[in-house]
Amino acid sequence: MKALFRINLILSLLFALPFVVHAQDSRLQLSSLDHLAAKANQTVDVSVDERLMKMASKLFNDKDVDEREVKKLVEGLKGIYVKSFEFETEGQYSAADLQTIRTQLNAPGWTRLVNVTSKKDGNLEVYLLFNGDAVGGLAVLHSDLKEITVVNIVGPVDLDKLAKLEGQFGVPELGIEKTKKNDEQ
Amino acid sequence: MNTKLLIVVALLLTCAPVHASGDDFSSVVKMIETFYRVKHEGVPFLAKAGMKVATTAARIKGGEAKRIAEAGSIKLAVFENQAFAGDFTKFRASLNGALNDTWMPLIQTLSAKNAEQNYIYLRNAGDKYNVLVINIEERDATVVQVTVSGKNLALLLKDPEGTGKSITEEATIIDQE
Repeated sequence: MKALFRINLILSLLFALPFVVHAQDSRLQLSSLDHLAAKANQTVDVSVDERLMKMASKLFNDKDVDEREVKKLVEGLKGIYVKSFEFETEGQYSAADLQTIRTQLNAPGWTRLVNVTSKKDGNLEVYLLFNGDAVGGLAVLHSDLKEITVVNIVGPVDLDKLAKLEGQFGVPELGIEKTKKNDEQ
Repeated sequence: MNTKLLIVVALLLTCAPVHASGDDFSSVVKMIETFYRVKHEGVPFLAKAGMKVATTAARIKGGEAKRIAEAGSIKLAVFENQAFAGDFTKFRASLNGALNDTWMPLIQTLSAKNAEQNYIYLRNAGDKYNVLVINIEERDATVVQVTVSGKNLALLLKDPEGTGKSITEEATIIDQE
């Protein structure tokens, strides 16, 4: 009976393992925001998946200083995903829309590093996913009355790297460098 | 036949955009036609576009512009002065459904205010890459497929919106000179 219980336990753990591994994946499900495109003035959807990341890291030339820098930035990354919605008027999205993203960022491993609330610039939240000591991903959630932007970088990344990626690979200017400097002061 | 005319005809034949058949490019053109009940321009316009491509290439030789597409790789379909009215979120879903197995979506921008949609997809093509750029506005639309080198794909990845626009302009630029 004890042996049967043990086998059951081992089998249950084995079946559960893929779900545990999945929980540590830093790819966020952003499709819950897609319905906002119908109301938004401007929608931007960037998707640089693992296949493209691998392709990209081969394309940049080591001999060129700028390209070497970009290559270093993207090496090891498994994806960059951006969704951004700009609205003509206020109240076009609900708290529930943001909550679908925040719920994922409340999962084990995710830590909120930055949380800035400003009347002028809206709310900026930056989250890192830790797999043990290693960083497995990053998420930025920016919202104000007329805009929502979510940036999700899958793979080893930090704020320095994110700041350098701003304006490239479809990553919008988020003012991360400015926020970092303000935090340091 | 006049020799000069022969040269022009030969140039047009070599530079005119290739009209795709039986591939995703054609499927996308057909999808736009079905969804929006529009028709893309016929051969005379494409020949004109070929002249534009040839002119652009000549300019590039003079070092005034940078050519992104590999020579002879441009497939172009243009829709002019027709109504593109319809739910763009539904169109986007159909497009992604049709292309996502063989193409990698890079960037998609939708503007409800300006009734504008832009899509850029990529796929491997041996040691080069195919780029598919779809632009739909209120009255006009363009579908361009080009083959690019790794170096130019790197440009596209660094600045998807800017380079995507350059690809469309390169295929359809109107020479005012």
